[in-house]
Amino acid sequence: MSFARWVAIYGPTYLTGLGWTAVTAFGAAVGAIVWGCVLLLLRLAGPRWPARAVDAYVQLFRNTPVLLPIYIVYFGFPLVGLPWPAVICGGLALVLQNGAYVSEILRGGLKAIDRVQFDAARSLGLTPWNTFRKILLPQVLVYSIPALGSQVVLLLKDTSLLSAITVTELTMQAKLLTEQTGAAYEAFIVVALLYLLLVSTTEVMFRAAHRAVRWR
Amino acid sequence: MPPGSFGLLVQGAAVSLALAAAAIAGGTLFAIALTPLAFSRFAVVRALYGLYVYVVRGTPLLVLALLVFYALPALDLRTGPYIAGTLVLVLYVGALFAEVFRGGVLSIPRPQWESARSLGLPPLAKFRKVIAPLVTRYTLPPYVNVCVMTVKASSVLSIISVWELTLAAREIIERTLAVFTILGVAAALYFVMCFGVDRIGRWLERRLMLRGFVGERA
Repeated sequence: MSFARWVAIYGPTYLTGLGWTAVTAFGAAVGAIVWGCVLLLLRLAGPRWPARAVDAYVQLFRNTPVLLPIYIVYFGFPLVGLPWPAVICGGLALVLQNGAYVSEILRGGLKAIDRVQFDAARSLGLTPWNTFRKILLPQVLVYSIPALGSQVVLLLKDTSLLSAITVTELTMQAKLLTEQTGAAYEAFIVVALLYLLLVSTTEVMFRAAHRAVRWR
Repeated sequence: MPPGSFGLLVQGAAVSLALAAAAIAGGTLFAIALTPLAFSRFAVVRALYGLYVYVVRGTPLLVLALLVFYALPALDLRTGPYIAGTLVLVLYVGALFAEVFRGGVLSIPRPQWESARSLGLPPLAKFRKVIAPLVTRYTLPPYVNVCVMTVKASSVLSIISVWELTLAAREIIERTLAVFTILGVAAALYFVMCFGVDRIGRWLERRLMLRGFVGERA
């Protein structure tokens, strides 16, 4: 079968997969950034033991493969009375894992800000909220957007692992097509190209965001 | 914990470690061959290097693994999942290592190049006495990061039926439903392996620094 015909016949299947991948990755990325902020706040604001717990959490997730949290949520939650759909389980696992990385990235961005600036903000009489909004946030964004971008790209690629828990995203569609048609590699080449497209789009978006907030 | 499962998990961990070790060794050699392409005189070669890195970094490891796993038999190469899996890992981490080394070569200070030239060092001696020692020291921390990532990445091969720690864990939980204990132990084993690799890296860093660190980063 020619390549063009392959795409014509199975295009809609790929589009379904593409949709699931994009939606899952987007949702998990937003969730991971929110969760990363929560972890960072716990680490910075709380008394000693929550900071320790967050530290242990980050270390644990940085040193274990993503498949484990995916399996823990997917196989474990039904046992404790939470029979959630596979996408939600997988998405949650990705949020838990990537949140750990996001909190570290933001902490790095925060550390790059000179302490003197807090004194300056105080002497200008800025409220804590305004200090955060006008002084901290713009700088943290500038420092951490590139690293956040690479993390979101990693997350996007990791959504392919959700095929192992029956989520019908891109990789799963390619696997099904390969098994149905017996065609050895066409399905995966198309999928690889689609991932390249998604990854490149994400990178372009983060670069544009970085340009938008960078000082001139 | 179901009887006998701890032994199975430890065996799985040993396989994971062996896969990662093979991938790190093979990937490093592959990267040493790959990095010079990034500095080639010919634009085509540089572009091919860029394309390879772009494709490997822009596609999930699982997709590459499935591609190789299904494509090899179609090319009449019945290798089985272990060879296919190791091959994929080597191709994957080779690109990552090559990028690490490329960064290291780029951070060699200009005077080092100039003095190597003015000494009239032949290419091999230049590599052995100037490039290799500097690049090793510059790139050890990111190199170790990729090594840790390789240990974690080997878990993806469980999906193409390579029996290692993650597949061992999955098989046990599908039979016994002891999800939290088994995956907890598996996570602990991965943690020990990754942490161990990280510690070995730090130790190596200290040792290499002791043996004289010539030339500050430019």
